[in-house]
Amino acid sequence: MSMKRTTLAGGLVLLLLTIMVAVSSCTVATDDADKKKNVALIVKMKHGDYWNTVKMAAEVAAKEFDVNLNFYAPDYEEDILGQVELIKQAIQDGTDAIVLAPSDPMALETAAQPRVGKSIPVIIIDSEMESAKAKSFIGTDQYDSGLKAGERLAQLVGESGKVAILSYVTKAGNAEHREKGLLEALRRHPGITIVAKEYTASDKQLASDLTSQLITEHPDLDGIAALNATLSLGAAEEIDRRGLAGSVRIVAIDSPSEVLSYIQEGVIQATITQQPFTMGYLGVKHAVDSLRGVQVPARVDTGTKVIDLENMFWSENQKLLFPFVK
Amino acid sequence: MKKQIRAFIDQLKIKSIQFIITASFTLVTLLVMLFVGVMLYSKFSETSEENAILNTQQMIEQVHYNLEDYLASMTGLFELVDDKIHQSKQFPDGNLTKQLEMILETREDIVSMAVFSKYGELLAVVPQADMRRNTRLTEQSWFQSARRDPYDISFSLPHIENLFKGPYTWVVSMSRGTTIAQGGEKADAVLLVDVNFKKLDNLFQRVSLGKKGYVYIIDLAGNIVYHPQQPMIYAGLKNENRSIALQNSYGSYVDESTGERRLITIKTVEHIGWKIVGVSYMDEIATTKQEISGFMFWLLVFVIVTVLFLLTYISARISRPIKMLEKSMEKVERGDFTVNLSIKGSHEVEQLSRRFNVMVKRVRELMDQVILEQEQKRKNELEVLQAQINPHFLYNTLNSVVRMVGIGKNEEVITMITSLSRLFRISLSRGKNIISVQEELEHVRHYLIIQKMRYKNQFEYAIDAQEEVLRCKTLKLILQPIVENAIYHGIEKMADPGMIWIKVEKIDDNLLFQIRDNGLGMPEHVRANILTGQYKSEDGSGVGTRNVHERIQLFFGTEYGLEIESELENGTNVKIWLPVLKDEE
Repeated sequence: MSMKRTTLAGGLVLLLLTIMVAVSSCTVATDDADKKKNVALIVKMKHGDYWNTVKMAAEVAAKEFDVNLNFYAPDYEEDILGQVELIKQAIQDGTDAIVLAPSDPMALETAAQPRVGKSIPVIIIDSEMESAKAKSFIGTDQYDSGLKAGERLAQLVGESGKVAILSYVTKAGNAEHREKGLLEALRRHPGITIVAKEYTASDKQLASDLTSQLITEHPDLDGIAALNATLSLGAAEEIDRRGLAGSVRIVAIDSPSEVLSYIQEGVIQATITQQPFTMGYLGVKHAVDSLRGVQVPARVDTGTKVIDLENMFWSENQKLLFPFVK
Repeated sequence: MKKQIRAFIDQLKIKSIQFIITASFTLVTLLVMLFVGVMLYSKFSETSEENAILNTQQMIEQVHYNLEDYLASMTGLFELVDDKIHQSKQFPDGNLTKQLEMILETREDIVSMAVFSKYGELLAVVPQADMRRNTRLTEQSWFQSARRDPYDISFSLPHIENLFKGPYTWVVSMSRGTTIAQGGEKADAVLLVDVNFKKLDNLFQRVSLGKKGYVYIIDLAGNIVYHPQQPMIYAGLKNENRSIALQNSYGSYVDESTGERRLITIKTVEHIGWKIVGVSYMDEIATTKQEISGFMFWLLVFVIVTVLFLLTYISARISRPIKMLEKSMEKVERGDFTVNLSIKGSHEVEQLSRRFNVMVKRVRELMDQVILEQEQKRKNELEVLQAQINPHFLYNTLNSVVRMVGIGKNEEVITMITSLSRLFRISLSRGKNIISVQEELEHVRHYLIIQKMRYKNQFEYAIDAQEEVLRCKTLKLILQPIVENAIYHGIEKMADPGMIWIKVEKIDDNLLFQIRDNGLGMPEHVRANILTGQYKSEDGSGVGTRNVHERIQLFFGTEYGLEIESELENGTNVKIWLPVLKDEE
């Protein structure tokens, strides 16, 4: 009787042991999958090197920090309401955090989603906006980039000359800040006169037409400051077509490969770079940090650099200007 | 405070067998498990670290092999292109271009093949493309090294190809000096083959060392050729500590400069001087270590819990019979000797309980014996008392006889003496305690005869007994003290003639004697207390009655004895209950 009981107890222990080993080896595997967070990246536009770089950088970060990245973008930069709808859509899709490049400083308020900025942290990239709902801003100091553009233009034109400014209409504050910086730089050079300040939509053809009109009106124009990449490409196209490359100097902002190509060709003399890669990467990183309860800096200046023919193929600039192996 | 602790420890019953067994075995199991666990853990972590290092080295070997293989195939291609150029009589000719285009078609990783003069003028390019302006190609490293060392193929660092119109592409440039036939004369030139870096990038990207580990490549000067986090490093978001890789060209090193323990494995590709650097994270090895230690921990917990349960069970099995034994002893201690243990358990405990039973039985026998002796003693005393009755009575009777002789009542004297003689004969009964009912009745009858004569017929009596009860046995001399009381206390002081009825009958299995008189009776407090002995009159009456009661109870048990019913002025009825005792006893 007693012997039998002992063997029974022993068998029971062995059985329990086996079960426990089986259970403990199973639990390791099942944990991870359902915990993966969703981060929505909402930018201004579907196409363009700049936004692609932001997206790719965000993907790199998403992979590194083990989150799902959902990409949202309207077809055109001017589609403010479309972006607001996409914010709502992202919330509906059950996103845990938002990385937003706002087309409109009031985009979050217009979307009117109560959880935004509370249980769903929002990281703003590219364009600054004053919203209590945003946790952090990562982007270029636009005033500073305008200032650098102005200084370089003045240097290119010399102490006296005529320049025109091509700016764009937007609700976001970028153009405004760039323009302020640019004007401040030009003010320091009293010999330089601003003969025209044109506003247009962000469209290459429109910019090209406008440049043509400017050249006709001011044949002695020495320089053009184009406040974004699209405008600078339009201007460059027109200047190149007229064979005025080098005599009408163009200073651009942003560095898509077409702009760089024009720089190598000597049509555009300089551009002020932004760091879309840093924005996309840090945007997602800060979003993930916020979700994990880590304090993130309220403001990150990603920095700017003046790129021209002289330095564009320097090793460190190559890496900055062409961040991806294609 | 100390007392409280001691009380607490006592509560735990630290000295109990159960506790000692459980605690000591648990401790032993714990120690063994810990020892085994630590041994296994250290052995495992040693092996896993060795494995990790070996694994990383093998990985790096593989990358090294793949890279050399790829470079060799590229070199072969380069030589082939160079051969074709040497073979062509007039450079460039359509035939050569066609051949080169065919080669290009088979290799999608080649971006372009071009020949430049020693002054940097483009002589030919496949595929056909326009030159960009401002290329500054003579300043580029591939051109300079081809000029400097025209007999060796040089591999450039990955860079942006800016020579031809089209998208800017990351390439590795292979270049070497060559000679071309132009107008029958040989001229120095530079052959450039640009290989898309994407191919190499893919080759390296596939390599992974654990979850976080990776492989990167630097050149002899420490420039990054490839890094999986290239964009982050270029953007200044990440940094790679290259110092160990710079200082060494082969081997495995542990780097703790970044705060994390990293295993750096280096191998140099001889031909182009690139260093393949594998980075694996020691904490990943530690993660598997953690998993193992976590598993060990839970196993330990499980085993301890199981062992605890098992030991509690086993020790309870051992200690329970002992506890039962202890409880039984406690009962015995309190005076209960009816305990009989039948404890099942180990041999020792069974033996112990058997011995215990024997001991208790022996004690019980001894105690019974003591009680018996005590009872005997009391009985003897009572018998003495019994004997004392007689001289007093004898004296009275003899006095009466003397008086009767004096007045010449010879007839009565004879009757009295005869009765007295009979009375004593039955009283003595050869020392027996038990006599027949008939003898007892005879005894009381003679007593009544004597008393009636002494009291000058002041009372009458009647004795009534069934035939069958006469042969039953009874304790002797139980009726006489009751009758004596009835006369002295009930009838003596009465003016009217008294009457005493004596009746014996069998009721169920009991024998009932009833002695009834029509005398004075007694008050309730006297009646109720006579038998308990709480009532004591001045003349000592009632003692006899109580003695009868006690004797009966001593002999036959407490369920037998006297019952007294009495009513003042109406008389008293005393019932004596006895068991029916047959002859043979």
